[in-house]
Amino acid sequence: MSTPTKDQIKALEQSRQRLVQLTHSLASLIGSLNQSDPLPSWPSLQSQATILSNNLLSISEHLSENQPLLSSLVAYPGPDFPGRTQAPTLEQLLRTKLDPRVEDWVARGRRRAVPDTNTNSNDNGNNDGNENDNDHDLSEHDLAELWHWAPVEANREARQRDWGGDYTLEEREGGVANVVTGLRRVLDDGEDDMGSTSGSSEGEGNEGQGEEEEMEVVGVRMRPGAGLLPVVVGLSLILLLGARMVMAPVVPLEGILRFMTTGAQPSQR
Amino acid sequence: MHELLLFASVPAHQHHELLQQLAGLTAMQPRHRLERRLIFKAYRKPGLINTRVGASQDLQGNEMQRLNKMLNGGMFYTQVVGPLDESDFGLSSSPSAGDPDDAAMSGTDEIPTNRPAYSYENQPWKLEFRDIPEAGTRSAVTARLMASSSLPKGDISTPMTAWGYSFVSEYVVEGDIFVLNDIVIFLHRVLHYPTEPQSHEPRRELPPLSDMTLLERSGSYVLQASITVQDGGNQEMMKTASQHLFGLREQLKSAVRLEQADRLSLDTRAK
Repeated sequence: MSTPTKDQIKALEQSRQRLVQLTHSLASLIGSLNQSDPLPSWPSLQSQATILSNNLLSISEHLSENQPLLSSLVAYPGPDFPGRTQAPTLEQLLRTKLDPRVEDWVARGRRRAVPDTNTNSNDNGNNDGNENDNDHDLSEHDLAELWHWAPVEANREARQRDWGGDYTLEEREGGVANVVTGLRRVLDDGEDDMGSTSGSSEGEGNEGQGEEEEMEVVGVRMRPGAGLLPVVVGLSLILLLGARMVMAPVVPLEGILRFMTTGAQPSQR
Repeated sequence: MHELLLFASVPAHQHHELLQQLAGLTAMQPRHRLERRLIFKAYRKPGLINTRVGASQDLQGNEMQRLNKMLNGGMFYTQVVGPLDESDFGLSSSPSAGDPDDAAMSGTDEIPTNRPAYSYENQPWKLEFRDIPEAGTRSAVTARLMASSSLPKGDISTPMTAWGYSFVSEYVVEGDIFVLNDIVIFLHRVLHYPTEPQSHEPRRELPPLSDMTLLERSGSYVLQASITVQDGGNQEMMKTASQHLFGLREQLKSAVRLEQADRLSLDTRAK
């Protein structure tokens, strides 16, 4: 056994730095999740996730590059190590088994990874198109079925709604006057008695900007207990967007404003 | 004065609901408003342009340049706005109806039961100047310089011509006004006259209101929220005003999307 060379120490140092980076970005993510109220916006979460995955990627690259070195390295205390005062550190350093908690994580990760690698080798080995029946993912067949089912279902759901107004058909049939309405409901779509289910659709609407916000205007309301998949919600939003485009003004706002300022006839779309 | 604005397009089917929503929000009934708006365009008076190509020996070059700039630069479209009443529409103004005293003096046998006809001679006018919205403002509101002043009643095209403006066209704006604190909310749409004007000047008679055609055939409305700031140089005031507008935008978020207007669509510079 010889003392590590400069290169080897450098490799060790690099792994330390990358791990420090990873812990930092993890800590900042946790901190922002814990502290910021409301929760951080999607873009910021996304960018943090990207940073994390980049960190992980560089660490795993680095580890696999230096695998021979790292697996052959052995730590042992020198004679001048202050073993009495630094006993916990020493124990940490000399420990060969993983922390029980960490062991659990690793085991869980291994278990999850196994089926995936199995199917990959299956697909590579015999290309008979045998779909895996993994319970985490939908098979291609199931996906196709879902896509076939969803538009029809979404359309059906969409037809039951009156997209033009703020009242649903049920509300209209029951008499608009009976609906407890007023400004509060208008300003806050979640106020009415359908709030329990409309929450999910509004959640959809709030995520993005642009189109989805516009769709929030009408507010997709579902029957309680309809239990629709998010896919359907998304699709009905798309349908709704289409419907709105039909009703949209012929002359864009810019055209009207331009006419009002200079008298220039707006070009008809 | 400065004006901060946000706009939104309101589809016709949403108009009624929005009116009620705004009435609730502002705790006031809508004030119906009819306006005829005349668009005038500044033009260069022939003879004022005095370009001297290659006159390098001109000693007063600088001064001339400045004068030319003052005379030729800054040609703007300007609006002349006159308030109307629904009863003004659809009645031709008889030339003799100018003096109501005549009818009163002529005795009781001929009671002037006819409604007050639209009288172009008594139409009050307001000159409204709007600059092109400021460019590159970081806040998401349209801000522009504005000024308005009262004009003499009656025939307006003669004084306007004398001031170097030519009549371009006119239209009628129909809508409702709400006021919420310092925000003026104007939900309006543009109406066209059914016929082209015979002469190139403001019309003296108004057709029936029902004959007016919509500029936007689907009948959509424009929602305009505006705040007027007396001192546009006061950044603090401008900031507060835009904050108020953003507050309104937030309040109306579930109903309409108030946005900054396209700057060039409000370009009042005359080319």
